[in-house]
Amino acid sequence: MAIINPKSIYSVAKKEFMDNLRNKWIIAMMIIFLLLTILASYLAGGQAGGEEAFGGMEETVVSLLSISSLLIPIIAIMLGYSTISGEAENGSLSIVLTYPVKRIEVLIGKLFGLGSVLIFSIVVGFGAGGLIIAATVGASESLAYLSFIALTIMLGFMYLSLSICISSFCKKRVTSIAGGIVIFFWAMIYGMIIFGILLASGTSYEDFLTPGFTYPDWLFTSVFFSPGDTYQMAVMQAFGLSQAFGFAIEAPEYMSLGLLVFAQFIWLIIPLILAYRFFKRRDI
Amino acid sequence: MVDKTIMCPNCKKHLTIQGQPGEKIYITCPKCDTKGKFTFPGKTSYKTTDESYALNIEGLTKTFNGFKAVDNISFSVKKGEIFGFLGPNGAGKTTTIKSILGLLRADSGNIKINGYDIKKNEIEAKRSIGYLPERVAFYDNLTPVQTLNFFCELQGADKSIISGLLNDVGLSDTLDRKVGGFSKGMLQLLGIAQTMIGKTPVYILDEPMGGLDPRWVKIIRDKIIKLNEQGATIIFSSHILSEVQTLCDEVVIINKGKIIAKDTVENLNKYLKIKPRLEITITGLNGKIPEIIKKIDGIESIDIKNDVLFITCDSVARINIISEIKDKGFDVKDIKTIEPSLEEAFMKIVTKDDEGVA
Repeated sequence: MAIINPKSIYSVAKKEFMDNLRNKWIIAMMIIFLLLTILASYLAGGQAGGEEAFGGMEETVVSLLSISSLLIPIIAIMLGYSTISGEAENGSLSIVLTYPVKRIEVLIGKLFGLGSVLIFSIVVGFGAGGLIIAATVGASESLAYLSFIALTIMLGFMYLSLSICISSFCKKRVTSIAGGIVIFFWAMIYGMIIFGILLASGTSYEDFLTPGFTYPDWLFTSVFFSPGDTYQMAVMQAFGLSQAFGFAIEAPEYMSLGLLVFAQFIWLIIPLILAYRFFKRRDI
Repeated sequence: MVDKTIMCPNCKKHLTIQGQPGEKIYITCPKCDTKGKFTFPGKTSYKTTDESYALNIEGLTKTFNGFKAVDNISFSVKKGEIFGFLGPNGAGKTTTIKSILGLLRADSGNIKINGYDIKKNEIEAKRSIGYLPERVAFYDNLTPVQTLNFFCELQGADKSIISGLLNDVGLSDTLDRKVGGFSKGMLQLLGIAQTMIGKTPVYILDEPMGGLDPRWVKIIRDKIIKLNEQGATIIFSSHILSEVQTLCDEVVIINKGKIIAKDTVENLNKYLKIKPRLEITITGLNGKIPEIIKKIDGIESIDIKNDVLFITCDSVARINIISEIKDKGFDVKDIKTIEPSLEEAFMKIVTKDDEGVA
């Protein structure tokens, strides 16, 4: 393995950023994201500023969390699903790869370039929300809000890495669309599977709704197998939230923010290594 | 830097020496002290190596799910040549080209581009190539300038050449448009502009004139000739024989993944005896071939269908026929010259091959 040329990575990243930032679908998703964030932070911030002081940050983050958990994976998958399969199919990748660049440089450049588009949309979306919160509730919690943004960027990168992996594996654009849909719905399918196991293992639906019910430990461990769940859990840990969507959640001791972020890095790295292995051997 | 093994003329000892192409070095034999000089082959002016070949392929094989698309192909292209790579559709031309470039991962084979092994010295080999794929595509949301900027960065080339390149291929009035809105022909032209980035010594063009109107075909032809005059080697694939006949020095014809002919265009023409066919429409012939035409020398075959004469002949006979029918006052409606298709040429080779002549 020879040396990697950072200039080539930078050039590929810059090209991906310029090309994708002007993609009309990405722009549409960013606008929806921005509007929903403004709306959510305005409503939550307004509540916080009103008579019933809820502790504005917590409320706002919980409502923003449900938006970002849905929209960030969509944007990441849209950016990544055809980045290799689509370009291999239409022929543009064959020109790039006859220039003095290595495939690993192209792959890393794509991750950084597409990742920059993600960071851009997250900063624009949550930046607007942050300003509203600062105006209504005050800027005292800005550090917590920044860590929320950082965790959201991590969520985006996990899904980006997964979708690039699918794109390197799939021969055609069409099959990689199917792959993208599967990873998007994985979070939901996975939640249902886990809930099914929970019910089958003796927990009744009534237990589930009873306040003070303690969930089994394996339920928390299951979080590590879904990138979206690690994100939600990490945000709750970061804010010390014990309640989400009406359910009281008392996480076990070992479930630290550090462990969750570590798991997220695994979710980022493993698909990338696989992506490189597929891409290296691939016929373009 | 290249290695060269030479033999001492006095004591026959083999020595390995190193030098740049074109470099002259003085050697003293370590065994018998004989002094001598040696000049490394190759020109110093171009970024080149000791190889006299721009492209060297040995035993290239590529299979797709058990199907041998390219079957043990070997050939070399000399530096400074225009080299034609011919074959009917599906013969394995694009597969061969893509395997040479490392886009397709070949099963086996050694490939050297400009003297650099594509596996061992990938970056230098790729720096020597300008490549135009069969299907050209770029990035929909970038302008032509942004697109070429990107490729200049990858090649490490000077960006000031970009406007000149776009002007050269006639795209200078589309600078602000996104490439996503380009027609097939415009993409092809941008593709050609892209190959000229970095003044590479070897050009590999897959069907460079496909999908272009005649005006642009001429521009591309002139461009190929100009690049070649400047010292570049051009390898291009085509299924149109006339393009190859007029441009190329040497030709390889492949079919079903195998090379079936490899020769200079001159020899191939002689060998194939392919001539254009003349089609003359004369009112009132009604299936009867005029005697005066039959008498003209150099006619290989003559045929008639209603009012249309089909004549295969050499170029002298062609001029004679046309002047004769003009002189004798025939009512000529139309004269067409049909270039022989590669399929015809190809059929001839295959037939001779089967007879064991080739």
